[in-house]
Amino acid sequence: MRPRDENKIRAIKEKAIEMVANEGLDNFGINRLAKAAGVSPATIYIYYKDKDDLLTSISQEEGLKMTQTTLDGFDPTMSFREGLWIQWKNRSKYMLNNHIGTAFFEQLRSSAYKEKMVKTISAEFQKAMGSFMENAVKNGEVNKMPLEVYWSIAFSPLYSLIRFHNEGQSLGGKKFSFSQKLMKETFEYVMKALSK
Amino acid sequence: MNSLDHILIFKTNISTPRDITFVKDVLDKHELIDEWNVDQADVDCVLRVISRHLKPADIIDLLSECNYDCAELTD
Repeated sequence: MRPRDENKIRAIKEKAIEMVANEGLDNFGINRLAKAAGVSPATIYIYYKDKDDLLTSISQEEGLKMTQTTLDGFDPTMSFREGLWIQWKNRSKYMLNNHIGTAFFEQLRSSAYKEKMVKTISAEFQKAMGSFMENAVKNGEVNKMPLEVYWSIAFSPLYSLIRFHNEGQSLGGKKFSFSQKLMKETFEYVMKALSK
Repeated sequence: MNSLDHILIFKTNISTPRDITFVKDVLDKHELIDEWNVDQADVDCVLRVISRHLKPADIIDLLSECNYDCAELTD
């Protein structure tokens, strides 16, 4: 009997994410993954039908993990300020603690895997976010605006700070390191921009 | 019985779409094969078969009859 080997599955997943994050999708192959994970190619094929199946499954799983972290403690009935702040804290936590996961998603950009992943997580997001924005508009906290406009103002500043941090420098090569104080300061400017 | 035991993995030379069409005829028709696929993105053109009754040697025979190379990959 061939038992399910959770340690091997974990090694396969971790190495796959690492390889895609560091080398991109074009160079990814089952044989190389097997070597990196210390398993035989046959072991990978026992758990996954092919390369496509493996990348689809892993990106969906990683996407759900990211979604759960992002939505931890969030409730769509919260005030706009409170709800957005929780998302900032959660998103920064995920991105600062999961460099590899973040780089993995960057590599998936504009691939079919990204589309499938987005399909899987959008239901989760929808369920949790639900009427958050709607409530904020109804309660007079923010103006009604296109989703893309909201998104750009609400999250891009945070992502810029994290990108500076990951690169270790900001504009003109100035040394930069992320801090909660800076995040809070930036958040207040975002609130000022979005608040009615 | 654990269903992982029903998964058989082979290295083959089923490499072109024409090869796939050819083996599809044989494998689809086989009553004891539940599911199969070939990973054409892989250099080893890995054939993965799910069957509760067939043994690796049965698949190797089947593919040999069609003039394809087929060797079991073990984990």
